[in-house]
Amino acid sequence: MKNLDFPSLRIGDLVAPVPIIQGGMGIGISLSGLSSAVASQGGIGVIAAAGIGMCETDFFKNYLQANIRALRNEIRKTQSLTKGILGVNIMVALSNFSDYVTASIQEGIDIIFAGAGLPLNLPTYLSKNSKTKLVPIISSARAAHVLITRWQERYHYTADAIVLEGPQAGGHLGFKIDQINNPSYQLDQLLPEVLKAVSLLESKYNKKIPVIAAGGIYNGKDIKKYLSMGASGVQMATRFVATEECDASNDFKQAYLMAEKKDVVIIKSPVGLPGRAIQNKFLFDVSEGQKKPFSCPYHCISTCDPNTTPYCIASALTHAKKGQFKHGFAFAGSNVWRINQMVSVDELIKTLRKEFEDASH
Amino acid sequence: MNEQEILEKVKPVIADKLGIGEDEITMESHFINDLGADSLGLVDITMALEEEYSMEIPDEEASKLVTVGAMIEYIKNNAK
Repeated sequence: MKNLDFPSLRIGDLVAPVPIIQGGMGIGISLSGLSSAVASQGGIGVIAAAGIGMCETDFFKNYLQANIRALRNEIRKTQSLTKGILGVNIMVALSNFSDYVTASIQEGIDIIFAGAGLPLNLPTYLSKNSKTKLVPIISSARAAHVLITRWQERYHYTADAIVLEGPQAGGHLGFKIDQINNPSYQLDQLLPEVLKAVSLLESKYNKKIPVIAAGGIYNGKDIKKYLSMGASGVQMATRFVATEECDASNDFKQAYLMAEKKDVVIIKSPVGLPGRAIQNKFLFDVSEGQKKPFSCPYHCISTCDPNTTPYCIASALTHAKKGQFKHGFAFAGSNVWRINQMVSVDELIKTLRKEFEDASH
Repeated sequence: MNEQEILEKVKPVIADKLGIGEDEITMESHFINDLGADSLGLVDITMALEEEYSMEIPDEEASKLVTVGAMIEYIKNNAK
């Protein structure tokens, strides 16, 4: 009989029986609760590092220390909850990128995912004994080629895998605004290009570099499609928000359940990239020019200019996590409107597996 | 090699990496503002020139080389 079940995802010596990486969602959406649940089900659970210290009492006084302390504690807590594979998502645009990376490696995290910028020097943080795998998140074949070649030439390190995130993802997007709905830049077009570029580098450097497809992947049929095209796994994030284990507040999850197709909008994020979000009054006021530049005590994003930015993205996303949408908004992927019920991570993976098997017949 | 000679040699590299015409490139051109480069394009150019001139441009230095003229000055002083 043909084996129709999920193939496992291998990244170096790590083997995930379920080829699904739960995409990192900041601020505070994917923490120990969600990531440990996904890892325990056989997928790869990912903690989002951005703004992770927002609940520390000294967050405003000791911004950096509070974040690093919270990140270390969250990694330890997650590790105590599961024996599965765990990653941390660290945005390159974070001003303290290197501190987050160093702390994560010291805590023995399995994988670092780095996107929202080019993680050019990421291999320099590894020490001889560290087992952490490095996986950049990119959005074009050109980026895959440049980054993998750069790491190889300068550090003799081959990327352990790459995540190709297409323009239908949620949150920050590695595309120009006019590319987002352009057919030539969709995941279906990009994946074969990236697979081709990566396969040339795999033979050149004699190392397997699994390509993970991401951005707008919704059900088991989608997973089947991208694996059949040659991806080794998928990264999914939006679907994991409407789960009992997700670390966001109930109000944040309700915003996902209530969202309609027309509510999904593209915004210009203070990070300097476009982003996909769920429209609300806060974003409407921003677009109407009713928000004013703010004072910023810690400059958390290297590419953010608080003098010209109309609102603080860290504050807006932290408020949203807590369900305070008067002062914030939710990032989400393009298919968020299709989600209409809350499930457990176990149930979600079972559904995806069933749909995958049905699509394999 | 003087600056002009280097300019003539780097023009095709920059034009190729950024998908622009060589005639758009002058000493004064700002990679991002004038030539439309993004961060990826800059790394691509840096890597190609490192290979061409057998040198290594550290990341901190590379981020300061914002114009074609600055890049050429660096090559003049550091090429082997």
